[in-house]
Amino acid sequence: MSKKKTQKETPVTLPQKVYNFCAKKKLILGVVIAVCVILLAGIIIRGVHLAIEFKGGTLITYTYQGEINENEVGSAVKDVVGSNVVVRKGESLDSGGKQITISFVSNEGLTADRQTELDTALKEKFADNSLELYDSNDVSPSSGREFLLKCFIAVVFAAIIVIIYIAIRFRNIGGWSAGVCSIFALCMDILIAFTTTIVCGFAIDSNIVAVILTILGYSINNTIVIYDRIRENRKLMPKATLNELINVSCTQSLTRSIRTSVTTIGTMLIVTIVVLVKGYTSLLSFSVPLMFGLISGTFSSLFVAPVTWSWWKGKQAKKNK
Amino acid sequence: MKKTRKSTFFVVVILIALFAVTSVLGIDQIFADKKTTYVKGVDDIRLGIDIKGGVDVTFAPAGDYDADTAQLDSATEIIKTRLTALGITDNEVYSDEKSDRIIVRFPWQVGETDFDPQSAVKELGEMAELTFRKGTDSETDEDGNVTPTAEIVLQGSDVASAQAQYRPDENGEYEYLVALELSPEGSSKFAAATSELAGSSTPISIWMDNTMISAPSVNSAITDGSAVITGNFDQESSKKLADQINSGALPFKMETKSFKTISPTMGEGSLDAILLAALIAFIGIAIYMIVLYKLPGCVAVVALIGQIAGSIAAITGWFGFMNGSTLTILGIAGIILAVGMGVDANIITGERIKEELRTGKSLDAAIKIAYKRAFSAILDGNITNVIIAVILMGAFGVPDSFFSKILNKTIFFAFGATAEGVVYSFGFTLLAGVVCNFIFGVFASRLMVTSLSKFKCFQNRKLYGGDEK
Repeated sequence: MSKKKTQKETPVTLPQKVYNFCAKKKLILGVVIAVCVILLAGIIIRGVHLAIEFKGGTLITYTYQGEINENEVGSAVKDVVGSNVVVRKGESLDSGGKQITISFVSNEGLTADRQTELDTALKEKFADNSLELYDSNDVSPSSGREFLLKCFIAVVFAAIIVIIYIAIRFRNIGGWSAGVCSIFALCMDILIAFTTTIVCGFAIDSNIVAVILTILGYSINNTIVIYDRIRENRKLMPKATLNELINVSCTQSLTRSIRTSVTTIGTMLIVTIVVLVKGYTSLLSFSVPLMFGLISGTFSSLFVAPVTWSWWKGKQAKKNK
Repeated sequence: MKKTRKSTFFVVVILIALFAVTSVLGIDQIFADKKTTYVKGVDDIRLGIDIKGGVDVTFAPAGDYDADTAQLDSATEIIKTRLTALGITDNEVYSDEKSDRIIVRFPWQVGETDFDPQSAVKELGEMAELTFRKGTDSETDEDGNVTPTAEIVLQGSDVASAQAQYRPDENGEYEYLVALELSPEGSSKFAAATSELAGSSTPISIWMDNTMISAPSVNSAITDGSAVITGNFDQESSKKLADQINSGALPFKMETKSFKTISPTMGEGSLDAILLAALIAFIGIAIYMIVLYKLPGCVAVVALIGQIAGSIAAITGWFGFMNGSTLTILGIAGIILAVGMGVDANIITGERIKEELRTGKSLDAAIKIAYKRAFSAILDGNITNVIIAVILMGAFGVPDSFFSKILNKTIFFAFGATAEGVVYSFGFTLLAGVVCNFIFGVFASRLMVTSLSKFKCFQNRKLYGGDEK
């Protein structure tokens, strides 16, 4: 039944205006170079800050009396140790006293001198709270390098399987190269999210893992929707060149790409604004890089993946001649 | 294809509404003081430490024991695996090599009333050394502490894997037990011991640390490398024992040094902020979809409600007897991704309906073809996400889960079988979301749109984004 219909409707009705996506090679090259430059500049200026779960650091617990403000303690500690500080309140379950736990990254543990310095500074500033040092530990990272490496291998492995999947499902339009190009687009999105994290000066913590994994799924889905259109159009317009196919398919998918992106990027924008207004800034290291990664995902699925693919196929065709 | 009727729309909407209401509110019944949960609601979600705070425990080796770095590392791994096996997927475990401390942080249990942090901590710090011994000899010191003294036949390291099972005993009565698969070395040791003891009156006793679980007598030599532990197990206790054996024994006995509550990293009330953002975003998306796609847009909103309810149900476990997982920032990321893909599926179809209508097809044909065409894109996009979710669940899940077993023996052979609960929870919510995407975003939404298009009043092509004709 559907076959009959397909035959009836050929030739396809083309969109009124077909944009020339394939002519944007320079734009893509420019963006890739720009991102790398910003990343390098960000690393040089801001430096890479690993969070305590990846780098290890110091956990200090004080008991206190009365009321204490976590943020004030945090900034007081930051003045002494210089790195990002997380302060958490708590209550001891065996002795029942109120406690604050201060955690921050430190390179070779905390020397006795600096510990004393910190101790004096805190006791001076919060004299009313009669702070008492309860416990101090230099800890090794809880997740550590092995975790990051395992994440990396898991992502690479997932990428390989995805390439194989695309190669099989899109074999009538030359699946292997399409698969590799979709992963190339993905790499760019991840790179942009990472660059955002560095430039904004966020610490590399488990939030970045969440961001990268989300982009992994989102970016590939975006690219596949375009590939699917190319695959369908290949059947409908068997005589068209690859560039024509890509241009038509990207144009047809443009509305969908923009509309979907408005919802996802809009969601992240709302999260960012709400978090800023309410003051829970620790969520920003999740929402801001993800937002930029999503913006990049929209761009890369329309330009990077199809255009590098057309470039690759063009090279291949030349070679064969 | 089966005919979709007018009434189908109402059936689907009612089913989605029922599902949404139950997964948010839950169904439970209070008999006397005992609360029976049939369906879990949002109140039963365990929130991560980053969102809600939790318990901070510092362990140290008992007595004057001086642990080396390798031992501390392995203790850290074992504690992490035990936490994940307990369903506490969100946790932080730090070790301090200078003072031999291990600091464990985990979130509050749901409904703090039935949560006993003391017993959770005890479970984490237990040695969990499994031993099979010849005979039941033991000695009791003046404090009444029992220590087994009989000759050791097997210990934890001889076990390849343990599994809780429910199967019939020799009398045909079903009981819970823990089935062990022994390593090749363990098999030969066990075969030697059982053939020696076969028919004799000396039993083989099975100990967990200093507690004897059972002491079965040996009828015949067991050479196939399998062994079972029976005793008065129920479903929970047999699973717990299997988990303990699988996670391995701590290299030294640990005791609790300090024990305190901690406030969430994200700050108190961060959950309210996230929920507020989610609500605003959802309302925004709903208006956006309805304005852009009119009738299919309204259907999309209903489908999205179903999808979000599905994600909530996946985290709570929905059914009272299922284990829920912990909701963390990563889990929320998984939900956002899945819902985003759900919106995308609806947009792809909505666009397609418009496009097909513009080519001058009849309403029926346009809807039919649009769903058919859109499906191939949605299918491939979602299957790739299933691939990603499954790989993450395998790489970071509990070592004895199905996917982990396959992956740990192949690509992750170089790594210890560590469980990293937060990444696992991301994979889990993503997988659940993708499944919901097929159920609600594709299947249910097609039923609803097709059924609505049978009504006279909904046959105006403008309602579907087509041109006036």
